[in-house]
Amino acid sequence: MIELRRAAAVLLMFLGVGVGLHLLMDPLGDAGAPASTKAMTLGAGLALAVLGVTGGFLIARIPKERIVGITEHLDAMVRRGAVGLAITEGEADALGRLGHAINRYLVFVKDEVEQSHMAAKERQIQMKVLEAEKRHIEAVIHAISDGVLVMDAFGDLVLTNAAAEGIFGFAIDSTLRKPVEEAIHDKTFLDLLHEMRETGLFVPHRTVEWVQGSGDQARTWRVILNTVVEGKKRDRISGVVAVLHDVTKEKEIARMKSDFVSNVSHELRAPLASIKAYAEMLTDGEAADEAEAREFVQVISGETDRLGRLIENILNLSRLESGLVPVNKTDLAVTEILKDVGDVMTSQALKRGIRLEADLAPVFFRVHGDRDMLYQAVLNVVSNAVKYTPDGGQVRVSTYLEDGHVVVDVADTGYGIPPEDREKIFEKFYRSRLSAKAAPGTGLGLALVRHIVETVHGGRVVVESEIGKGSVFRLHLPAVR
Amino acid sequence: MGCRVLVADDEAFITTVVARKLQNAGLEVLVAVDGQEAYERAVADRPDLLITDLQMPGMSGLELCARIAAELPEAIPTILLTAKGFELKQADLARFPAVQVMTKPFSPRELLARVQEALASAGSPRR
Repeated sequence: MIELRRAAAVLLMFLGVGVGLHLLMDPLGDAGAPASTKAMTLGAGLALAVLGVTGGFLIARIPKERIVGITEHLDAMVRRGAVGLAITEGEADALGRLGHAINRYLVFVKDEVEQSHMAAKERQIQMKVLEAEKRHIEAVIHAISDGVLVMDAFGDLVLTNAAAEGIFGFAIDSTLRKPVEEAIHDKTFLDLLHEMRETGLFVPHRTVEWVQGSGDQARTWRVILNTVVEGKKRDRISGVVAVLHDVTKEKEIARMKSDFVSNVSHELRAPLASIKAYAEMLTDGEAADEAEAREFVQVISGETDRLGRLIENILNLSRLESGLVPVNKTDLAVTEILKDVGDVMTSQALKRGIRLEADLAPVFFRVHGDRDMLYQAVLNVVSNAVKYTPDGGQVRVSTYLEDGHVVVDVADTGYGIPPEDREKIFEKFYRSRLSAKAAPGTGLGLALVRHIVETVHGGRVVVESEIGKGSVFRLHLPAVR
Repeated sequence: MGCRVLVADDEAFITTVVARKLQNAGLEVLVAVDGQEAYERAVADRPDLLITDLQMPGMSGLELCARIAAELPEAIPTILLTAKGFELKQADLARFPAVQVMTKPFSPRELLARVQEALASAGSPRR
């Protein structure tokens, strides 16, 4: 459309100017024409020329409103911060085409911006996911109960966890990304880390035992050290990782086992020594007479029995402690067990004039336990009470409910237990000095009681005692409703 | 030959059988049931030989030797009877040149032989 207009305009212009000029140039084209006609023709020619030019000009000129309209629209879009389709330009002329081109560009820009937004959003989501994963990993590392420490190639602490905080007594927030010396003050341990850093390329893994502190407070840690190696040729150490595992208890248990074996060996050899010695005496005729010979034989027999009991007890306790004995728990009435024990012990007690009394509460106190084991535990305690009470004394057994526990209370009027022995009597083979007054025991009875009551049944054993007055042993067992 | 022997052990059967064997061989025997009593008897009665268990409540056999050595001018020849012989370190014994070790279970015959040997090499009786 606009081309036509322009063409028309140009034509008109030329026409106007051409004719006008022609008329202007040749008003006297006809020599005989009068002067007024010539003037009129001149005037007309001028007018036409001017009209032609003006007309052409007017027609060809691009209307200002349209341009202003476009300009304002674009400004408005910038002001509103909008990216979008804009101009409506219906005309087919150059301006209209410009409008369409602008629109196409605007659509293009809008697409780009939207894509860019989407890409940014995706990156944000990825970031959030990575952050969440990072937090998750940190939480995992923090939840590890072993201490974790990572030192980088520059000697800074770059990763650690709550367990390590606890071990070394530092605060993560104030020591992360700072030299390890600020977090760890133990020279031996620091040497370990630095040594790993120096030699890690040749010895990438090391496991050492590190003792922290001393005396009663000492703890033993198994430290597993690894180097983090980088580079294509794996020739650069970028860090050292240390994982600390508390083996204090393990070592303690190992030592106790070793002590136990040593003690067992000693305890078994004692009766054996007597048996061997007296047997040899008989062989060599060292007995003064028949009576003494019989005494020797009795010693051999008695010590053989003692040996047997020792072995039995040791095996029992060992099997129980290693969980080899199946535990058979049922709901049972404590008073039934006490009655059984009473039946067995009464005659023994009577032989030495000891009164064994039972003060049994109503039958409905029940515990969830292994009948045989609980019987053994109660028997051991009552048997001790009788053994360590002088002739004519008294042993009283009672039971009551306290704090959700059924308590078996065994009180005697015996020799009492010195304060320093009250914990030790539960140790294997331990016999208090005062026990010399009583018949020799294996020293295992109370160890068995503690294991059965505390470890197998989740209860408690408590002892109270006064020298010369007597002792009270209380077995607390969780009650069953 | 000296003729007084002090026997210390917390096991009554052991002290009885050792005393019997030595007495039958003509030796005088003193008996103690723990380290403290043995120490007191040693200082008071100056035996020519000491036979002691290692594991005793209170003072151990080694501690007994140490205390006697600190108290008396001359070391008493000692036989250490013990079921824990394997636990004794050479270093512990090096301090007591007059001490020899015998493990339990032991033969009374062998014990007597060692006692007689020790008494003989200890020289003339002091009394």
